[in-house]
Amino acid sequence: MRLSPISRAVAATALAAVLAACTNSTSTTSSSGSSSEPAAAGQTIKIGVDLPVSGADASIGIPTQNGVVLAVEEANKNGFAGGKFKLDTSLLDDAVQGKHDPAAGAQNVKTFIADSSVLAMVGPFNSNVAKSEIPLTNDAGLVQISPSNTNDGLTIGDDAKKLRTAHPDTNTYFRVCTRDSKQGLALAQVAAQRLGLKRVFIIDDNETYGKGLADVFDASFRQLGGTVLGHEHITANQQDFKALLTKAKADNPDGVFFGGNTSTGGGLVRRQMSDVGLGSVPYLGGDGISDPEFETVAGATANGSYMTVAAPDASKLPSAKQFIAAYQARFKSNVGPYSANAYTAAKIEIAAIEKAITDAGGKMPTRADVLKYVAATKDFDSPIGKVGFDANGDTTSPVLSLLEVKGGKPITIDVITLKS
Amino acid sequence: MTLFVQQLINGLSLGGIYALIALGYTMVYGIIELINFAHGDVYTLGTFFSLAILTLLGVTGIVSGPMLIVVVAVAILGAMLLCGLTGVIIERLAYRRLRNAPKLAPLITAIGMSFILENLMQYWKGPSPIPFPQVIPNPSFAVGAVTVEAKQIMVILLAVVLMMVLQTFVRYSRLGKAMRATAQDKDAAQLMGIDINTTIALTFLIGSALAGAAGFVSGVYYGSTWFFNGFAAGLKAFTAAVLGGIGNIAGAMLGGFLIGLIEAMTTQFIGDQWSNVVVFSVLVLVLIFRPSGLLGESLPNKV
Repeated sequence: MRLSPISRAVAATALAAVLAACTNSTSTTSSSGSSSEPAAAGQTIKIGVDLPVSGADASIGIPTQNGVVLAVEEANKNGFAGGKFKLDTSLLDDAVQGKHDPAAGAQNVKTFIADSSVLAMVGPFNSNVAKSEIPLTNDAGLVQISPSNTNDGLTIGDDAKKLRTAHPDTNTYFRVCTRDSKQGLALAQVAAQRLGLKRVFIIDDNETYGKGLADVFDASFRQLGGTVLGHEHITANQQDFKALLTKAKADNPDGVFFGGNTSTGGGLVRRQMSDVGLGSVPYLGGDGISDPEFETVAGATANGSYMTVAAPDASKLPSAKQFIAAYQARFKSNVGPYSANAYTAAKIEIAAIEKAITDAGGKMPTRADVLKYVAATKDFDSPIGKVGFDANGDTTSPVLSLLEVKGGKPITIDVITLKS
Repeated sequence: MTLFVQQLINGLSLGGIYALIALGYTMVYGIIELINFAHGDVYTLGTFFSLAILTLLGVTGIVSGPMLIVVVAVAILGAMLLCGLTGVIIERLAYRRLRNAPKLAPLITAIGMSFILENLMQYWKGPSPIPFPQVIPNPSFAVGAVTVEAKQIMVILLAVVLMMVLQTFVRYSRLGKAMRATAQDKDAAQLMGIDINTTIALTFLIGSALAGAAGFVSGVYYGSTWFFNGFAAGLKAFTAAVLGGIGNIAGAMLGGFLIGLIEAMTTQFIGDQWSNVVVFSVLVLVLIFRPSGLLGESLPNKV
């Protein structure tokens, strides 16, 4: 096909328009509430947010994302950086076909890295997504804070080193929640001591987070003198667990542990336990099953389930009162288990960006400056208490909430403060 | 031994759902040699339709007494009818015009239809799992040490009965004969006065209606659903159809039950994470020794 120069130009413009439309639709940049903010004269600085906000993960992902949005809106309202810059978010979704996806997360991080106005990011939600993102942020020197990743290998040991091959001495990854070696141990203590369980059957979803947590629980529960009757791994998109639970029932367990998320089977396993006659047996899981989805899927059978949240229960903390009120006023809904963590993560980054702007004499700071100040965070006042990071990027004040489902609702029955 | 029998029942009920979906795959392939990738999503749509019907009837929990039969009949038949119509529409929109195009073209539109249906369902009911009312009282029957749930009997019975009805229809009715003729040679069938457009539409109607029935059954059996449910189930059902011999109705049923059984037994005796590995290893072995599937050669031609 031969085209005249004019029609070529027209075609190119049309193509560019289509491409622009495409990029706009994939990266929904939030400008909500911007009209009420003071007119910002200068450039825009963005915080990239990568979370699963569609599909089965949406019920927990959206309230988490809202935490960041709230922090950014408040910063603008309070005159961010003396009004020299406007703060904004770039909200991306890492769920593909309704489930968190490491490849989609990596793609989103590449989008953030390519956008020079993104100086920091919050996310991801899931540990396997973090594994695909950390090498990229490490290479680009972009700081990221996860509200909820708990897998040990993200910050500790050889696994963590392998994620930081580009710049082994720089750490760009931080998290405001605790690790699974602590969460798994705490859950094992709950099972063995608080609930007095002796014989437990373990199921995990074979993902980074789920298997990691289940392995820690497995080892810790044995150490505490309990018997592990079996440890099975389920497969992706599995819907039928009756055969597996029939096998478990034959061993007469007095507890079933699930390592994984509601979206990877946590709710269906609980529901089908009652079909095979294990309905009255306590069911334990980590923070992966503490989302409203779990009660939806498991229905009435959710009662008697115990789970942890790798965050203090914001509704029980005096320091969180103001945050919760602001959140409810802004989003007309209740906070999610990780809203306060995400809000805190964004606050830490905003504070670091402001310091970096001052250092740069009011000009656009570099990502390295922002990273430096995030890494130096210590005793930062936040809705979840005083937060700081150690050299690995882990929080210096790990706290867990223990929840029990009663009458179809999760109720916080204890807050466990762990040794850092 | 009791454990073996218990797992046999678990496997057969899982297989019953696969079998119902597999029938639709096999019928469509039999008549136009198309792998209808949207079929798994029609199955999910069946769950959504029956949920909508139950909501309209005001059913939120277990129904007892004679009302139970009415509610179940209305929900199943309604879901079957709506899914059947969806199947006909899909065929009319996405496949008919491509009937004489290269084989790859309708295959891609089938994948496209699958995405369209998934996204429509996501738009309709949201992206999160949706609870499905239990509807049927679920007493367990103890046979020795083995317990059988009423739901499990329902799944297995429904699958077998619908398969037998379908087999009889295809073998003995006028329309069934027309279907077989169209499958053997479209041009010759047309020369004999068979309206092949109607016949193919009918095939989609029946196949999709069976997916609708499977949709209701799985809603009751698992108690929840979501828009992406059909992907994994559809893949397994398609495998079942190939294992049994694609194009063969009894084969689809056999394949469905076999895959359910293999999954349950692998979970019991090897480990749950190996169930897919074993299922597909069996498939590879069967196809090496019998390339047209287990029952593929019992009939000389398709369907």
